[in-house]
Amino acid sequence: MAKTRLVHQFGMGSSIRSRNYTEAAARAIRDALWHNSLNVADAFGFPKAAMLIDVEIGVQQPEAVDTAALLSIFPYGQPRVSVVRGGLDVDKPGGGGTTVIANAAVIVSFEMERNHD
Amino acid sequence: MTERRIILEMGTGNDLYGEDYTKAACRAVQDALHHSSIVLFKSLGIDHREMRVQVTIGVQQPDRVDVDVVTAELPRGRAEVNIVHGGLNVHDTDNDTTHVIATAAIAALLPIDPAQWRLNKMARPDRPMG
Repeated sequence: MAKTRLVHQFGMGSSIRSRNYTEAAARAIRDALWHNSLNVADAFGFPKAAMLIDVEIGVQQPEAVDTAALLSIFPYGQPRVSVVRGGLDVDKPGGGGTTVIANAAVIVSFEMERNHD
Repeated sequence: MTERRIILEMGTGNDLYGEDYTKAACRAVQDALHHSSIVLFKSLGIDHREMRVQVTIGVQQPDRVDVDVVTAELPRGRAEVNIVHGGLNVHDTDNDTTHVIATAAIAALLPIDPAQWRLNKMARPDRPMG
């Protein structure tokens, strides 16, 4: 058994007036993280620092997301961020700008195995 | 084997016009459940019936929640639902309307023996603990 997924977390975030895809992605990550309190590291007796965190973001303009800026959201663990085309952009009525919606999935894994000692 | 909490899921739900505390509580449970997926059952080959599910609902009128209906919202594990005074009611005096807001906290507990598991050699934490 190698890298093993334990929990997936889901969230949504938006940038309503500033069309800031990074901010929408950050809010989606916080929405995913702060709906849950994870105890899996403690439960299996692993240090929290060993937690592998794979983040998948969906927005309509993936290239506009500053992924390095998202890493500081995570209080512990080893986060990696990938961005795909997804989420949703919604134009305001009368051409007054665009509201951005980001989807986030946060995948929590450990490099773990059964202890046969 | 010691039972350990693996996750606390939090959610909120409301009933805007019906003052239905059970409906608000069920929506709070669904909100809490669907912000995560506990995939370790499949990854590690654990039967979900080993999981104990402790649900606490907060509403302003606990006696108006049908506990059996809320319990039926939890498809996996063995669920126990407890209703306490909490949540929030928002009263609109202009329109004589009350919005009912429920909060749900769902704790999932599993018997896990940490001695049976270890990190493999590839796992080398390169960040300090937060």
